Amino acid sequence: MILLCSGQISSRHFDALLLFAAQLESGGHSVAIDARFMPEETIKQQKYEMAPFLADAGDINAETILVIGAEAMSDDAQILLRGVNARADVPVWAIGHYATHQDEINARNKIAFAMGREPELLNLSKASKPLLLEGLVAPLATRIAPHPEQSDGKGCKLLVYMPFEMLEEDDALTGLAITNYSPNVELHVLTNAKGKDLIRRSKHAALSVFGYGELPPDNLLNYFDVAAFFGSNIPGERMAALALLAMGSGKVVIDCTTTAGFAETGAPVVRGPDRIEALSGYLHDVVMHSRVEIGRRSLQSSWLKQFDAAALEREVQLTHLPRVQPDPVPQTVFFPTNGNGLGHAQRCALIADAMQDETPRRFAAFPSCIDMLENRGFGCVPMVPRSDDHGDAFAADLVNYIRLRQLLRPGDRVVFDGGYVFDSIYRTVSALKLSATWIRRGLWRPGQINPTALERERAFSQVIVPQEAFAELNSDYSTGHHIDKVGPIVRQGKLSAKEVQSLRDRLSIQFDQEIDTLVVTMLGGGVASERTAQTQMLCSLLEQRTNCLHLIVAWPNAVVAPGLAGWRNSHVVYTTRTLALCQAADLTVSAVGYNSFHEILYAQVPSILIPQSAPFLDDQERRARAAAERNLAALVLETELLALEREVSAFLDGAKADEIRKALAAECLPDTGNVAAARLIEQGG
Amino acid sequence: MLRPARPRRVLSLILSFTETTGIPPVSMYPTVAYVLDPRFRGGTSSAVAAELDLVSGLARVEVHALSTAMFSGRSVAPQLGDALARLTLPLIWDAREIAADIVIFHNPSCLKFQDTLATRIVANKLIVVTHENFLRPGGAEGFDVAKCLELIGDSSTVLQRAIAPISPWNRQTVDSWVSTQSPKHDWAVQPWDWFNICSFEMQAPTPHPADRRGRHSRPGFEKFPQQDVMDLCFPEAAEQNVILGADSYLRDGSAPAHWTLYPFGGLSVSQYFEQIDFCVYYTAPTWRESFGRVLAEAIAAGKIAISDPQTAQTFDGAVIGAAPSEVNDIVRRYISDPVRYQRDVVSGQGKLGKFSSTAFEATFNTLLGQMPGGPR
Repeated sequence: MILLCSGQISSRHFDALLLFAAQLESGGHSVAIDARFMPEETIKQQKYEMAPFLADAGDINAETILVIGAEAMSDDAQILLRGVNARADVPVWAIGHYATHQDEINARNKIAFAMGREPELLNLSKASKPLLLEGLVAPLATRIAPHPEQSDGKGCKLLVYMPFEMLEEDDALTGLAITNYSPNVELHVLTNAKGKDLIRRSKHAALSVFGYGELPPDNLLNYFDVAAFFGSNIPGERMAALALLAMGSGKVVIDCTTTAGFAETGAPVVRGPDRIEALSGYLHDVVMHSRVEIGRRSLQSSWLKQFDAAALEREVQLTHLPRVQPDPVPQTVFFPTNGNGLGHAQRCALIADAMQDETPRRFAAFPSCIDMLENRGFGCVPMVPRSDDHGDAFAADLVNYIRLRQLLRPGDRVVFDGGYVFDSIYRTVSALKLSATWIRRGLWRPGQINPTALERERAFSQVIVPQEAFAELNSDYSTGHHIDKVGPIVRQGKLSAKEVQSLRDRLSIQFDQEIDTLVVTMLGGGVASERTAQTQMLCSLLEQRTNCLHLIVAWPNAVVAPGLAGWRNSHVVYTTRTLALCQAADLTVSAVGYNSFHEILYAQVPSILIPQSAPFLDDQERRARAAAERNLAALVLETELLALEREVSAFLDGAKADEIRKALAAECLPDTGNVAAARLIEQGG
Repeated sequence: MLRPARPRRVLSLILSFTETTGIPPVSMYPTVAYVLDPRFRGGTSSAVAAELDLVSGLARVEVHALSTAMFSGRSVAPQLGDALARLTLPLIWDAREIAADIVIFHNPSCLKFQDTLATRIVANKLIVVTHENFLRPGGAEGFDVAKCLELIGDSSTVLQRAIAPISPWNRQTVDSWVSTQSPKHDWAVQPWDWFNICSFEMQAPTPHPADRRGRHSRPGFEKFPQQDVMDLCFPEAAEQNVILGADSYLRDGSAPAHWTLYPFGGLSVSQYFEQIDFCVYYTAPTWRESFGRVLAEAIAAGKIAISDPQTAQTFDGAVIGAAPSEVNDIVRRYISDPVRYQRDVVSGQGKLGKFSSTAFEATFNTLLGQMPGGPR
């Protein structure tokens, strides 16, 4: 393993360490950054970037130690180097930009004094080598692809870097929007946080925008064929790294800087207009039709060869190190988000069940779902759920990011089901260039539908939208060839009358009571919406009935309010086999999540629907209302306790249950989408 | 232009000569111009101060200060400032030309961070005193020697250029460098060591030595060995482990609890010596003292001094050369034999006579004798 250290403890040096670590890793090297070189303050993006690399130096078996930024070693860095405990035969390299021989000696001395061993020296400022950017810390280099790595087709994916100051200028956003209107251009804007915020608050909020540090440069590569850099000059080390990687991948770099910052170094870039308004025309007239040829010529540039990462690695003698081999057997990994129930995992399991290809299927799943998935025969890698006890709100996701990176390999397929695309999945997909599918059911609340929520869709090559059963509930949040709509994904398994009776008999034995009336309540564990009052009321109503069994369903591992224990007719049951229970019941009282709702509809279960109302949930009330208006269920809102009492009586004492059963049997529901979704994933989008 | 001070011992004679003949006496007595950046700290400043004290009695002395990039922003070292004040020698900063019979350029490494030297040196003999080793243990260059010598060489019009090592080890690095490099100018290596003058007041050794150990130095990383060596030298079993100049340990909090740490300057040297009976001094294995004045100070203070054999060789047995793993045994033997402790300390103090003012004067007079107008 390669251990990376830096000449100073600073945000700038740490950023350089991150860039260099990613660069080495892309060459198949096993890399760690000595955690002590992390500055005191790090932002969220840095934490994600550092997580795969950060290590306690004592925990790793370093085979080579690389110290970057060694041209300006601080005392603090020397103190840390003094504490590096590596075998005497482990080579140490002082990598820096040394302007003079004395600078070299200085770097060598400082490391030699601190570590008690002589370092090797690598000077990145050779007289013959062009200077990409003054004051660089990272040993920037790139792998040089044999052929241009660009997308097929007439159009192109365009990344425009624009500093905040330029975005503030008149017409800059309009210019970007005009460029984005072209059907042949898929535009992404890259800017800093202020710039992103400016765009999001503008009438052009729907533009795809990357924050400056949102993804590391090598991850951004997936998103463009052509990169245009605006501003006064080369905008810092990170963007210099991005431009260099783009050149090394045979993409087109358009230098639109006012000082021709890239072109002046001799880099293989094309000089473009320094005003955004002119970019669209320039792109179509000059670049679009020749972009692959431009990329090919870039790859042959002698300038680029001086930044060849392989050459750099040879110079520091890394070629002997073992390289990480990709797993030869691709896999499909499902990653259902940790919702409040098992809905996402259930949906993924249904799709996985319907898949027929030979690719192994497994899950990255949260603890609440693991039993269910394993019982269905799927292997699971556990993910860590969020906790208020964590220092950072994203701490759990950070761990999940590491696990996903360890689990997945290039060539794998990943299927994510959830509303919010976690950083873990977004970054893993981007980093490993995975073929990724987003299962995204609809019925978002109005406030949830915004560009920020949808922007990470760009990481997915395929978005599968399981439809709602009723047309008025379906909306298009985004469009494109990558979007596929399928029928409702729903668990099916209609019980025969005999099977229903058999189940009721078993329940009778289990609970040691005659069952004339069976009621199933599935209102959730109270996390998304507090439903204790409704549940207690149901217990109370049903307690007065003779030979009545009331089962309150809780998901395995759910926490149930202790007040439910005292009822004679009511019992809490932990199970995922709700579909059978509901079919055996005379009445089901349920929340209106996607899965429960559609199971109830497709299994023709008479139900009272009590929507959950937490703001982060889907619009359950609309869903329930659509069914109620069709007389396929009763709708009771959370405040309507008296209505609940009336409806229970109507179902159990009146004829409402039968009426609903008949209506459900007559209703023409769309075909389910389980198999269609499975086929789409197998086809790979 | 400031007039250089005149040697005290010959002042009356000069006055008499001038009054009698009316001829300016300057040319009759060698002029010695010192060239240095007076802002460097540590033992080198003390050594040069002692040298000025002595030489200003033997020749007409000028002291030229260079404001080099290496010590930018610092003030004149107190030892030197005191000596100059005492001798009423003005400090001439960045003269465009320095002319003297002998120019003694102390510590050429002060030029290592600059590419020009805007001073012209005209002399019969130019002596560059190499306070920094040219090479480190293992052979890596200590500084950009060629550049520093070239700057001095290019700026000088002289009959002879000489490099004066200050110790056997220092000489070894100079010889080794000269033998493998091709300096631009002709440089002879002075055949005798331009040693640090150690004119300390000798303290009597304690009759009851205890396992009280210590070391003192500037806080630079080169001055400290790796942790395993420090642990051997300053074990928990010792009654006292005093580290003066422990700034980096104080910063990172990594030092064992049984060490008593003081930052550089956090304790007077005399207070420090009151706390110890053994000076145990090892440096980073990648660096070595060019002279080792701290060890001479310890001997003079009545302590047993232990260091690595190469550093110890400068002191002809006054410093015990040993491996770190041998330190505990050495200390134990001395504690069990206080008489031997006292005898060896006193013996060591006697050997410091080799570095006395008298010894230096004799050597310097030989040099002056080779100059026109110098004493014969």
